[in-house]
Amino acid sequence: MSAPTSSPAVPGGHELEKSKFGLYVQIAMLLAVITGLELVTVYLPFLTWILVTVLVVLSTVKFMFVIFYFMHLRWDKAFCTILFFIGLVLASGTMWALLKLFSTDAARPLTSACLEVPAAMVIRVV
Amino acid sequence: MSSTAAGTIDHHHDPSTTTGIPNKKLLMWAFLASDCMFFGCLISTHLIYRLHPPPGTPAAKDVFSIELTSFSTFILLMSSLMMALAVNAIQKGNLKSLRWSLLTTIFFGLIFLGCQVYEFRNFVFEKHLTITNSILGSTFFTLTGTHGLHVLIGVIWLTGMLLYSYTGRLTEKQAIDVESMGLYWHFVDIVWIVIFTAVYLLEYI
Repeated sequence: MSAPTSSPAVPGGHELEKSKFGLYVQIAMLLAVITGLELVTVYLPFLTWILVTVLVVLSTVKFMFVIFYFMHLRWDKAFCTILFFIGLVLASGTMWALLKLFSTDAARPLTSACLEVPAAMVIRVV
Repeated sequence: MSSTAAGTIDHHHDPSTTTGIPNKKLLMWAFLASDCMFFGCLISTHLIYRLHPPPGTPAAKDVFSIELTSFSTFILLMSSLMMALAVNAIQKGNLKSLRWSLLTTIFFGLIFLGCQVYEFRNFVFEKHLTITNSILGSTFFTLTGTHGLHVLIGVIWLTGMLLYSYTGRLTEKQAIDVESMGLYWHFVDIVWIVIFTAVYLLEYI
């Protein structure tokens, strides 16, 4: 393994470390508030597509706050972000493609009634 | 973070590797990227069957308890906060703070798992929704069960790290070990953020 090593001083770094505690607490409170908002949103009397959009946006905001602040992507090298987003984009693309494929009428599962063969088409074997 | 003075540890950059990123961190990010695809497929499967529920599928709204799930979500978010504080503590070499943060994270993780066990029991024995009697049950239990398994692995890892901290071998130089564990724990949290919206909240619209 590669151990973390010493590096030259960067101005302002110590202040950043000091303020991280407060920053984390603020973000956690914000995430809790957004969760509350999501909960309220589902009971609002708006059109479905508006509610779905609001929910997707709110959960995306929560997602981004966690990965960029709690998971330190904001302070890490950009390669970490690229690596994770490769997986994320592939996963989102797969989800989108599957949902599109299965949103067609042809994708509806057959019911037992559809599978029944009309009596006139049954060939009697003697 | 960046170092503040010569001699302090830079936990975000490692000049000894070709990428400049600690190898353990790189490994964890690669694993999490692959796990994204794994959960992406499980969530898609659930959503596809929710789009076209076969006849006889119970209404998810009648089965779910949004209050309990919201509480679980809040607990997991708070555990993420404590995990971030644990990483912050070890990067400063503060073992006492690290132990308290890890202990709280474990506690929150166990509460989440307790809620999930309660929810599953309620679904099976009260609502008669099992993994085999409907497609909703199959996709729901597979998805949330896999996530629960990830939480359980995280709790075991956290407990191991907490015990390891008492051996005296965990110092600021090994902060990357705690950070890698933290990445895993936060990932479990972000997966739940998506599940909470896609599986639970969308049913109430």
